[in-house]
Amino acid sequence: MRVSRFTLSCPKAVNFRWGGTPFHPNVGYALIVSTPGEPSDTPAADDYRLRRIESVTDAALAHLDVEDLLGELLDRVRELLEVDTATVLLLDPSCQQLVATAARGIEAVVRQGIRIPMGKGFAGRVAAEKRPVIIERVDHTNVIYPFFREHGICSLLGVPLLISGTVIGVLHVGTLAPRRFTHDDVNLLQIVADRVALATQSRRAEVDRAAAVVLQRSLLPARLPVVPGLELAARYVPAENGGVSGDWYDVFTLPSGWLCIVIGDVVGRGFVAADVMGRLRSVLRGYALLGGDPAEVLGRLDQQVQHFDPETMATVLLAMFEPSFDRLHLSSAGHPPPVLALPGRPAVLLDVPSDHPVGVPGGLRRRATTINVVPGALLCFYTDGLVESRKTTLDVGLERLCASIVAGPVDSVCAEVMARLVGDDHPGDDVAILALRRQDSGEIGPLDLVMPALPWSLRDIRFAVRRWLSAVGAAPRAAADLLVAVGEATTNAVEHAYGPGGGTVSVHLELQMPDVLATVRDTGRWRPPRGENRGRGTMFMRNCSDDLRIDHSHTGTNVVIRRRLGEEAAR
Amino acid sequence: MTDARVEVSAEDRSMRISLSGEIDLANAAAVEDEIREAVSNQPAVVSVDLSDLTYLDSAGVRILFTLASRLQALRIALELIVPVGSSTRRLIELSGFESLAALRPASP
Repeated sequence: MRVSRFTLSCPKAVNFRWGGTPFHPNVGYALIVSTPGEPSDTPAADDYRLRRIESVTDAALAHLDVEDLLGELLDRVRELLEVDTATVLLLDPSCQQLVATAARGIEAVVRQGIRIPMGKGFAGRVAAEKRPVIIERVDHTNVIYPFFREHGICSLLGVPLLISGTVIGVLHVGTLAPRRFTHDDVNLLQIVADRVALATQSRRAEVDRAAAVVLQRSLLPARLPVVPGLELAARYVPAENGGVSGDWYDVFTLPSGWLCIVIGDVVGRGFVAADVMGRLRSVLRGYALLGGDPAEVLGRLDQQVQHFDPETMATVLLAMFEPSFDRLHLSSAGHPPPVLALPGRPAVLLDVPSDHPVGVPGGLRRRATTINVVPGALLCFYTDGLVESRKTTLDVGLERLCASIVAGPVDSVCAEVMARLVGDDHPGDDVAILALRRQDSGEIGPLDLVMPALPWSLRDIRFAVRRWLSAVGAAPRAAADLLVAVGEATTNAVEHAYGPGGGTVSVHLELQMPDVLATVRDTGRWRPPRGENRGRGTMFMRNCSDDLRIDHSHTGTNVVIRRRLGEEAAR
Repeated sequence: MTDARVEVSAEDRSMRISLSGEIDLANAAAVEDEIREAVSNQPAVVSVDLSDLTYLDSAGVRILFTLASRLQALRIALELIVPVGSSTRRLIELSGFESLAALRPASP
């Protein structure tokens, strides 16, 4: 094989050598049927080569976005190589198939979503062998898919799209008339392929980053749920390099009235980690719904990850509050322990035994721990990015974390922790923290709910009312009475206030010591009860309250219920 | 959605229906259907165990009244098992159910 012997300095975008070896690193190429035509060595031929190369390395092309760049390069390739078709196929890493992505002269390959398995067919062979392949005359022996034959394509030249030696796709050109592709043709096409590969790669990284950020934002609760009796605050700061990782936190209630708090960290970065995080988050919610203690729930999550996401590893801490908030049950899958601060006492790390991370096979039985949570106590959950940094050891980080936490308002606790542990540094890893404080009964404000006046709102209203009553320390009998009285009033609004257009029912509960004052309001017009055995609701309401007022007006109905907070009704 | 469970067990002349969870307007019709399907005309006594109900209001009490009147027509005796001092017990007593069925504090 002869090669030209001069060094070409391309003034525009790319410098490369045209030296004693073939100027492109993809040295040999497979040749089917024929040998490539030899390059000519005249000055005119050199000049011609130079112009062709300049055409495809044109720096102005860098301003185009990827779709336009691919199109423009394929147009230029068709013109320069005098070929009829030009096609880019990109490797879908998940299924190991080449997917037609851009095409000129044979646009149907893209429209039909042609997919070629790695190693199969012409393009599959270029990708598998990572070197140029030439087919001088297409027939059923060398091209297994009928597509080219059906479109009358006679000769083909394909080169791999490579990034650091890894195939990301294939670029090929074809002619309707028989054609002998030369070394120059191969080299020129490989230059174009390199440019396509770089553009595709940078575009993919950009899309990956943007998608991961969107995903992470959509998955982290923008607003934490409002839970009467608890104060909640959270912070999430992505690492300095602008990417995201798989850190997450979640707070949700269960139909049983239990409240779950999750903090976790998926190993890995970028879109993949964020995607896995999203799955783990949903799956964990689902498993929590099935019941069981946090160790059982994490066990189910672990099983699911090992089976369906075997490449995944994550640390997760799951904490589950009993409906009264008196006790918290915790289980840790390799996650750093939360911090507990009691009023007037220094904060300490909770002694939660750490079991194996989720996704690690062969672990021992998971353990759950139960702690008492007194009113006023504060808990802080976090990911390791907060306490592990390049500058300090883990122990120092944990000590500083404890030193910066007091049993105070959660927002100031978050602010203080971030100021003391992150400060002016750019965190090298994502940082997520979630602070939670059980309120004293004295600090609990009124409960305000506005729900659609539909039967399935009743349960949610009941949960919120039950929790609020427990938080303000209502006696069991008083709580049961108020639950029924408010339940009947909301049921009336759901059943009688609105037509098919629907409406809302609002519930307001406040303490007017020694009473609870509950107001249930709708904006509809009650119709008389229908059916048999009706009208018992109002009787229940009256008997479950110390004082009941029902005001109907043209703007809606107001039900005001007064009941003593203590055990017995005032009557 | 409000969650309730209806469990039925039958011995030759008696049938036991255990209700657990919560009953309100959202699931009352479904609970009523389940009970209606479960009760045949065979037993002499139907006892409904309300011990594990965590919430009941007039929507649920209405089911019991409907059941009581059906059983009365079939000449099947009805008894309710409701713990003394529970909220459910109070509502049952308030609604005057004692004239239709025997109230028992716990299962025999």
